[in-house]
Amino acid sequence: MTEAFLSIRDVHKSFGSARAVTGVTLDIHENEFFALLGASGSGKTTLLRILAGFETPGCGDVRLEGVSILGQPPNQRPVNLMFQSYALFPHMTVAQNVAYGLQMDRLPKAQIKARVHEILQVIQLDHLDRRKPDQLSGGQRQRVALARALVKRPKVLLLDEPLGALDKKLRSEMQLELKRLQAEFGITFVVVTHDQEEALVMADRIAIMKDGGLLQVGTPHEIYERPATRFAADFIGVMNFLPVTSAGTGFAAADGSPVAAGHGLTQTGRAVAAIRPERLQIGSAGENRLTGRISAIAYHGLDLQLHVTTTLSDTDLIIRMTADVADTQAPAIGQPITISWSAKDTHIFPI
Amino acid sequence: MVERNTFRLMLLILGVIFAFLYIPISVLVGLSFNEGGLPTAWTGFSFKWYGALLDSDDILKAAGNTLLVALVSTLVSTLLGTLLAVGVEIRRRNGKWLETLIFAPMIIPDIVLAIALLSFFSLLSVKMGLHTIIVSHVVFNLAFVCAVVRARLKSFDWSIVEASADLGASTLTTLRRVVIPVLMPAIIAGALLAFTLSVDEFIIAFFTAGAGRSSITLPMQIYAMIRFGVTPEINALATIVMSISVVALALSQRLNKGGLPGQ
Repeated sequence: MTEAFLSIRDVHKSFGSARAVTGVTLDIHENEFFALLGASGSGKTTLLRILAGFETPGCGDVRLEGVSILGQPPNQRPVNLMFQSYALFPHMTVAQNVAYGLQMDRLPKAQIKARVHEILQVIQLDHLDRRKPDQLSGGQRQRVALARALVKRPKVLLLDEPLGALDKKLRSEMQLELKRLQAEFGITFVVVTHDQEEALVMADRIAIMKDGGLLQVGTPHEIYERPATRFAADFIGVMNFLPVTSAGTGFAAADGSPVAAGHGLTQTGRAVAAIRPERLQIGSAGENRLTGRISAIAYHGLDLQLHVTTTLSDTDLIIRMTADVADTQAPAIGQPITISWSAKDTHIFPI
Repeated sequence: MVERNTFRLMLLILGVIFAFLYIPISVLVGLSFNEGGLPTAWTGFSFKWYGALLDSDDILKAAGNTLLVALVSTLVSTLLGTLLAVGVEIRRRNGKWLETLIFAPMIIPDIVLAIALLSFFSLLSVKMGLHTIIVSHVVFNLAFVCAVVRARLKSFDWSIVEASADLGASTLTTLRRVVIPVLMPAIIAGALLAFTLSVDEFIIAFFTAGAGRSSITLPMQIYAMIRFGVTPEINALATIVMSISVVALALSQRLNKGGLPGQ
């Protein structure tokens, strides 16, 4: 097998006694939109800065198209970083900011001008090319930062929390915009984010990081539907956990009733069954069922989330109910409820 | 109505303090335009004492020396002070130590610094003159420039330095195209402050000028003239020196957005 486009091999990084990255091995493909997802302190930003060249790993290697880039300082790597703070040059106009990287490449003036104009049109800021960064809105600054990194047509574009400072509505617009730009330019994107929804929407593949290591790497669908660990299951989306114990060939809930599962059947002893809210249904159609009482109703517009108290778990279970179902069933707080779900949607994890 | 009276009392105290500070200066400026030249009687408005300054070779020579000392020491201390401030900020290890060392010339009494420099030059058997004044002025101006630039660096966004490197710039290019332009208001403010301090510095220049009249500066010239009594020319000269200082200081403060050195 040939080596991956961007290959990270057993990379470690410590700051004093704090271990930021602990042995990450990861392959990123050409033209891939890759997300490093993790909570703060998970080591994702350190890994990104190693790729950019601002940190040197304690050991391990980073290879781009088969060649190690660790010996190249940041200003010589064919890699660009879009900073979380945007890091726009405050004394330069939008056009000067974008042109800076091309000037460093010593391109002819006419070509620089053409490429700056072109990219500003792509991000729809060509009418603001003479503004200074402090005369722009947050969203506009974000796009200038993106254009400045993108205009150099790097082999890999690194993005550190690119949408972190934007409001919710703008963020969801920019998620699709980033995907569109990535496809249009055909550049490999590696984005760092703590927002699991953002990672699911944008990325072709996601790596979940925790405590400096990789927890799981996969497509958004794999990560969401087949979480590898309890942490991954809990970290991505909403997940219900029901304590179970192994009983004979299967599992049983706290009251002894059987719980049929589709994944993680090799667990023994005390464990938890994990089920997504949208896989739970009202009524007794699935293999597994339990009864409880509605304790709270959270209205989200798009859907309702019913919180159900049951004797089988200390925490409430959450069920998603679409708006049309809610209209006909009219759930009320205190109402008894029967829930069921299928074995294939049930994952067993160690406790 | 107690509050109102308290407020009036405060205004009165403020007025007295300002009067104490500025009446002598106003008198000096006023007398420099007094035709008669006697402090006892106003005989009419005139520029004649300013004209008299231009006729005095000693004063013109001293003014030239002062300008030379101020310009060269400002240039050198601005260059070194800026690099020093940036360097200390980057290598923050032992920062407190370095900071104390750098800012010491701001705190050490001028007379101590003057004697120290005089002893130092004598020890090295350096022939003293304008060049030793310049070196001595660089010593304390360096500290002031460094303080002003460092104040600005406190709010400096270092990610733009990384961004510059990421976009392909070498360290020198980053310094030239990003760091220095962003710091420019503080650098100019520091330079203006250094210029001001150098123009009216007396003690250190007096100690390090060496023998003879060839390297006399304006403050030294004023001191020499004043031994024969305060003449109207001195009033005019002092007014000019003060105007230069006030303008430079005001510009410096404005550029630095009101931040005082060391803050």
